Amino acid sequence: MWWLKEVWVIDPSQSLSAPRDVLVKGGQVLEMASSMTEEEVLTIAQGEPVETINAKGKFVFPGLIDVHTHLREPGQEEKEDILSGSRAAVRGGFTTILAMANTKPVIDNRALVEFVLLQGVRAGYAHVLPIGTVTKGMQGSELVEMVDMKEGGAAAFSDDGKNIQNAEMMRLALEYAKLTGLPIISHCEDKDLAGDGLMRRGVTSARMGLKGIPASAESVIVARDLLLAEETGGKLHLAHISTTESVNLIREAKARGVNVTAEVNPHHLIFCDEDITLTDTALKVNPPLGSRGDRESLIEGLRDGTLDMIATDHAPHTQSEKTRPFAEAPFGIASLETALSAVWQYLVLPGQLSLDRVIEAWSYSPAQRFGLSGGTLKPGSSADMVLFDPDFSEVIDSATLVSKARNTPFLGKSLQGFPIMVWVEGQLVQRNRTVI
Amino acid sequence: MKWQRKDILAIEDMSVEEIRHILHTAKVMKEILMRPIKKLPTLKGKSVVNLFYEASTRTRTSFEMAGKVLGADTTSIAVAQSSVSKGESLYDTAKTIQAMRADLVIIRHSSSGSAKFLADILDAGVINAGDGQHAHPTQALLDIFTMEEQLGEMDGKKVVIVGDVLHSRVARSNAWCLQKLGVDVTLVGPPTLVPVEMAGLGVKLTHDLDGALPGADVVMALRLQLERQQSGLFPSLREYSHLYGLTTERLKKTGKQSIVLHPGPMNRNVEISDDVADSVEALIERQVTNGVAIRMALIYLLIGGSGNVVA
Ligand SMILES: [Zn+2]
Repeated sequence: MWWLKEVWVIDPSQSLSAPRDVLVKGGQVLEMASSMTEEEVLTIAQGEPVETINAKGKFVFPGLIDVHTHLREPGQEEKEDILSGSRAAVRGGFTTILAMANTKPVIDNRALVEFVLLQGVRAGYAHVLPIGTVTKGMQGSELVEMVDMKEGGAAAFSDDGKNIQNAEMMRLALEYAKLTGLPIISHCEDKDLAGDGLMRRGVTSARMGLKGIPASAESVIVARDLLLAEETGGKLHLAHISTTESVNLIREAKARGVNVTAEVNPHHLIFCDEDITLTDTALKVNPPLGSRGDRESLIEGLRDGTLDMIATDHAPHTQSEKTRPFAEAPFGIASLETALSAVWQYLVLPGQLSLDRVIEAWSYSPAQRFGLSGGTLKPGSSADMVLFDPDFSEVIDSATLVSKARNTPFLGKSLQGFPIMVWVEGQLVQRNRTVI
Repeated sequence: MKWQRKDILAIEDMSVEEIRHILHTAKVMKEILMRPIKKLPTLKGKSVVNLFYEASTRTRTSFEMAGKVLGADTTSIAVAQSSVSKGESLYDTAKTIQAMRADLVIIRHSSSGSAKFLADILDAGVINAGDGQHAHPTQALLDIFTMEEQLGEMDGKKVVIVGDVLHSRVARSNAWCLQKLGVDVTLVGPPTLVPVEMAGLGVKLTHDLDGALPGADVVMALRLQLERQQSGLFPSLREYSHLYGLTTERLKKTGKQSIVLHPGPMNRNVEISDDVADSVEALIERQVTNGVAIRMALIYLLIGGSGNVVA
């Protein structure tokens, strides 16, 4: 049994943000009280050994749920696999991660869904939930067997990595997915507008002679998919929103009652296109980093609830792939191990976002939208839980990262504020930054 | 001035003092080039590697000649621009060159930033002979050198650069170089090739060539990549040349004896009419010599050490 003394509990599911003593027993959050005596605790323990953590000045919150990770298994295990990815997850404070379907082969049938699910169970760290593709082979022309795949454990459907360019196909997907109750996740990128662009089109791209991607490459599809969701009544989730125009479109659509949620990636909240240099491929990401104004709109959108969740879009790549001239390096940032800390340091500490909102957006909201367990510390719920030390600082070092990937803009830099204990179903899986 | 720089990657990060020092050194180099015996022992034992991922006989030959005149051993590695996934990566090639202990590497590559990428890995100096759409500093330096030879100090003068600015490393490098030296620069072309974000270069933009010409001392036409038409960036060569082609008639609008430059090779009767092209041809021989002089100056400054041929 665990006794967390005088810890600051953040649990948006109970609208709770206050100091508490927390007891965890038998894989569950057992009780929470303003304070407890040793006698009371021992009575509850009924002879079970009690590990007491003096957690004053630290936070406890429900384990983070990341609805957008690329774990690369099957097929690209040199970049990451489900074991290394789920270890990276718990090191970073995530107890549930959704695995995107654009693997090799793509996850477009029940057998593959069950494979990913099983690999997650075998790994035994974070809960790994498979996302299935929307279309067979991610070819954008025929729907997958959504009902069968849901029965196999799929948590959502997405052709992420590739846009469904055919609007009729997207409309049909939103209709048919009603049979499952699961959301369709849109990658929000018009293929023709994005072209072979490398970064957001703007003054910085023009100066460096890097081919630009206009903001409209995203917003045009956001507008389209919002209209389709409105017309069909389908359940839509918009991935990695990065532009002011998208935020405005979503805000208006929500006001009209469209069944939509949207996510934003930490890197879009922290960096902008001006941070990119010609040889810094760690910041080459898709959708590309937006303007400074976009960054502000995203923070505002996350604050006012237009953007429902934070998701990492963890996109691991090998060093040799990223050690190339900018145009030749793949898009993506590996972020499971640094994302929470980066958000703490760059957004919470300067007062741009409250930690309560961050936890709501990264745990409670994803659980609600995707119908997942977790996202709460209500007594009786499974103890997927994080103890966060706001003072712990660490240099992001190649030697300590447990992901296979090193493509993070924070490599070699120091970050402050880290999860120092992580439980999955009451089992301690990470302690003092080491995965157990 | 004391030369500090290991590499020449882009004009953007160079100081006016450095640019002036290069131009001054190039002047001396040109005098040497004009001598009957133009072989110097200055860089004897130094090795210069030409690494060209894009075919460009003119630029490569110019660098080779510059190296040879200074007495360096020059090696050319012509790499076929194969698909990205195939073949040796630039990183691997850099490691090989590092092992060869070259003193200086000249690189031309289709990716913006590739010269900096190489320079970050190598102990050797690197000269950017054109990287993607980013920069072509030696072209800009030889252009300003030629302009000043013709017109004297360019400070306060006016230069119009017309054409496919968006995709042009020559336009970018010239824009930086000229504005640093106090030149009034205007970039001209259709909105698809001179989009608003080009304002980031800090110079004037316009879509109206005729309106930009009055007072121009130099008009530079950029080479139009004809395949841009297929990508929809302009409707036809006919309309392009009607709006932006340099003709004798149109050049009268400058109201001056302006000079016309073109980085070559020219598409005659597209960006430049036959008769104007002939006047440019006259300057080309001079440009070739100036190109060698500029490149000699850079090679000398980067690896010439203290062996002083230049007073
Ligand atoms: Zn995506």
